[in-house]
Amino acid sequence: MEIIMTIINGLSIGGTYAMIALGYTMVYGIAKMLNFAHGDIIMVGGYTIVLFFPISPIVGIIASVIFCVTVGIVVERCAYKPLRGASPLAVLITAIGVSKLLQSTAQSLPFIGSKPKGITYNFGNLQIGSVSISVLTLITILCSIAVMVGLTLFVKYTKTGRAMIAVSEDRGAAQLMGINVNFIIMITFIIGSALAAVAGVFLVFKIQDVGTTFGAMPGIKAFAAAVIGGIGSIPGAMAGGLVLGFIEAICGMVPALSPYTDAIEFAILILVLLVKPTGFLGKKRREKV
Amino acid sequence: MKKSLKGFTKHYLNYTVIGILLVVFSILSIVSPTRTMADLLPSIIIAVIAALSLSLVVGFLGELSLGHAGFMSIGAYLGGKVAIALMEAGDFEATNVLVFVIAIAVGALCAAICGFVVGFAALRLRGDYLAIVTLAFGEIVRVIFTNSGKETFGGALGLDNEAQFLGQKRIYILIIIGMVLVLFTLFVIQNLLRSKAGRAITAIRDNEIAAKATGINVTKFKLMVFVISAAFAGIAGVLFSYSKNPIKADIFDYNYSIEILVIVVLGGMGNINGSMISAVLITVLNNRLTDLLKGDAAVYKDIFYALILILIVIYNNAPALKSFREKYNLKNLINKILRKKHDPSEITNDAARWDVVPTKIEMNEVLSTDIVIDKVGRGDDSADILERGGNK
Amino acid sequence: MKKTIVKILCLVFAVVMVLGCFTACGGDKNYAENNTKIKIGVSGPLTGGAAMYGIAVKNSAQLAIDEINAAGGIDGVMLELVAVDDQHDPTKVSTTYATLYEGGCQLFLGTVTTAPGLQFKQYALDDEIFYLTPSASGDKIPSADGGFQMCFTDSNQGTASAKYFNENYAGKKVGIFYKADDDYSVGIKNNFVAGLNESFGTVVEASFTGEASQFDSQITLLKDCDVIFMPIYYTPASQFMKQGASKVKASAVYFGCDGFDGIDAVEGFNINSITQEVSYLSHFDSTSKTGPAADYIKAYKAKYPDAPLNQFGAAAYDCVYAMVDALKNSGEEITATMSPQEFSEILKEEFAGDFVFHGVTGECTNGQKSTITWNEDGTVNKKAVKYVVKQKGANG
Repeated sequence: MEIIMTIINGLSIGGTYAMIALGYTMVYGIAKMLNFAHGDIIMVGGYTIVLFFPISPIVGIIASVIFCVTVGIVVERCAYKPLRGASPLAVLITAIGVSKLLQSTAQSLPFIGSKPKGITYNFGNLQIGSVSISVLTLITILCSIAVMVGLTLFVKYTKTGRAMIAVSEDRGAAQLMGINVNFIIMITFIIGSALAAVAGVFLVFKIQDVGTTFGAMPGIKAFAAAVIGGIGSIPGAMAGGLVLGFIEAICGMVPALSPYTDAIEFAILILVLLVKPTGFLGKKRREKV
Repeated sequence: MKKSLKGFTKHYLNYTVIGILLVVFSILSIVSPTRTMADLLPSIIIAVIAALSLSLVVGFLGELSLGHAGFMSIGAYLGGKVAIALMEAGDFEATNVLVFVIAIAVGALCAAICGFVVGFAALRLRGDYLAIVTLAFGEIVRVIFTNSGKETFGGALGLDNEAQFLGQKRIYILIIIGMVLVLFTLFVIQNLLRSKAGRAITAIRDNEIAAKATGINVTKFKLMVFVISAAFAGIAGVLFSYSKNPIKADIFDYNYSIEILVIVVLGGMGNINGSMISAVLITVLNNRLTDLLKGDAAVYKDIFYALILILIVIYNNAPALKSFREKYNLKNLINKILRKKHDPSEITNDAARWDVVPTKIEMNEVLSTDIVIDKVGRGDDSADILERGGNK
Repeated sequence: MKKTIVKILCLVFAVVMVLGCFTACGGDKNYAENNTKIKIGVSGPLTGGAAMYGIAVKNSAQLAIDEINAAGGIDGVMLELVAVDDQHDPTKVSTTYATLYEGGCQLFLGTVTTAPGLQFKQYALDDEIFYLTPSASGDKIPSADGGFQMCFTDSNQGTASAKYFNENYAGKKVGIFYKADDDYSVGIKNNFVAGLNESFGTVVEASFTGEASQFDSQITLLKDCDVIFMPIYYTPASQFMKQGASKVKASAVYFGCDGFDGIDAVEGFNINSITQEVSYLSHFDSTSKTGPAADYIKAYKAKYPDAPLNQFGAAAYDCVYAMVDALKNSGEEITATMSPQEFSEILKEEFAGDFVFHGVTGECTNGQKSTITWNEDGTVNKKAVKYVVKQKGANG
């Protein structure tokens, strides 16, 4: 019984991580930059749904996708595009700056403020025998799987998707083949931000509360999930998210380990990186001179 | 005479300035310690040492460390613990210099050991991955100290260092030792960078593979940088433990690491004096802004820092702004104010100076000047190709 | 040469700036020498997650000061409030303290929350000033050298809760939900566990760290408990209640400490949507209909209709009155230009002596004001009240 409950909890926590990790892995795989602001775009999505929730949940979801995509495009154009071709260190520091900027801007807005905002919404449980599983968990998992399959198909079978692979393999060669690299990277950011919005919505329904640093920790953990699964690999992100979810669930069930949950997750990340830097499902890249 | 003065200012001006400040503030802090002095001066000293040590990793080795506060935390906790234990064992006062020095040695040593471990990660990983590992390291340190037992490190309540805490009246000891340590840090880092090792470190930053090919022992130098940087961060941590009570692990979180990073970036990466000046500037500004911005307005400070960080990085690094920043920069501006024109007859032996060694020339720059395509048609995209090609 | 000039300029600039920051400040001077009113200083979270507490303290202290001024002040000397924002962040206290102290404050309410309060205490001890904190409940906040509390200390809260459990919930299955990286939470929890008697068997412990979290595992651990003790602040508590709404036993009781105060006013949390009972042990019942507490509530509501109302505010209201009463009680002559140290001398003697205060916090019986006394070590003596925020069953 305990084991079944732990598995369900793992799925429930891991589902949201997987959702965020899918967006992370898309952006990292193609734009080759660690978008620290991803977690804060989740926060933007979370606030949008909370603010629009009284009108209608559906309107809220649509609004948060639209708003996050807009923020994603603006961030990409203003902060990241000028640095294309600059050293990765510069891009990374800018991304950290954008992350802080989004957090503090949100806090300075009068209708957001520094106090957390919440919603009260109960999805109810599905009873299977003696086991009860939250409907939200099921929706999250199904959605993540759908997004994973959809993204894989999109990348494999559409022209834009294959252009993405080309850009991620070799940006210079892709450009010579007539691919508009800037456009492809923007598309990537649009997809990434839309996924962040959806993840934000799920996270809000899960936690039922949103604050200005609400996306930061899940964002970093989802990046860890993406790295564990193999960055750039879509199924890897899903797997990594679930692995992290299970770890968190197991730690949560053992009172002695519970306070150390974050440390254990990060230690596993470091171990994976040191032993197999490409993650479980990632491809090895050779560094050319 | 003129030449020797120039040589002096070039190499020893920063020491002199800090030396003068050391004397001035030692006297001031002994004669009339004020609240502002007791708060602000230790913060400045800690920020300067932390920024110097981080700039070694970020500015000179070219790797991003997001867990620098973690090393400080180790220094603060272990140094503080040792100081308290010694004080209890020998019935010493907090102002005992010997205890202070031992605490600093222990804090630096423990942080250096952790730096060695993180340095190992740096051997296998670069760039974003290493940044994430250092971030994870900082978080792990924080969690471990927060959950430590009540007897060991005080757990969530923080390490109770009431015996060690100096307060306003005894702060002079921290100010004197702290400023001597700033001199020491500066001496070690500046001399390291002026040595053969320093050139090897910048060579690794600019092109690791090429550096390896020329026979530079990358393993050795990377570990060396991480160990030295961590040791000085540990020293900053020990100083912190003397200025605050209790020592709480939450203070040394990710945001603190970012704050140090902002200082280094603002000072100009790879510019030691710049890092020190911006450490002073940011700390004082932080202090004043907290005064000025009350209530909800406090958040504008964060917006301001974030914007500064983004704009400075874009200004310094954007390929499209290259010609712009060559034309309009601080140096030219100051020259303009001083009405000094560039005198081509003045030959400088730049090549012999560590801070202007042309290590920054990258393959792509050579290529893009050879083939001037980026002026035709869709500029930045074609430049992009060349740079990508060049980088690989 | 140019570079040298640039360098010299930069360094000179830095030196001038650093010096400029310090030369302005003098030594042991009386910053209050030009005051026309007695300034009362408080440092609290006016913004951020704990703002609800800080704002209530600020408003209530203002309310008390206005009432006292309207009644003629202290022998004709008026009072004035200075409230500064520390955002519940210990690193900000160095600045907020300096603002208060160098701004000429003479009486201090300390800080509203514990973590900044520890820092505040150090400065206060350095300057030998007296403070009476309304709500910083940490065990290390009170001090025999002039640090007094209006609220119960954490260990007292933990012990008092355990005592209440021993008397009222004996034999039931008890769970604890606490924040492992918060000193307030861990402090109360340890004392609570130590204070429980053997009738409870094993207590289920579940913890979390950080901010907004997914509490799946914790809910699984605690869902069968009869009483869940939650020594945490209201934000994570409301998250737990919402996430566990349909999983935790419907007859369970959520039992908190003073951090629960304001849980019924959390934005986006409809407390009536959950079925479990929500209560906490406190020194003030903000639903009082009669007695001195109700009078305070009425006056507060009239002045600040939209502001948060909680026991923190009530404690601050009492703090101001207690200090003023003590000053009047001492029989010394009070002027607006006395230094904080002079005030400290008087107040320390009063509070450590047998000064008895009658206020709105604590148990008020028969419409009389409560009786509050202090121990020499700075802790308070008064009777606690259990405050039921919401009865069992969903009503909305």
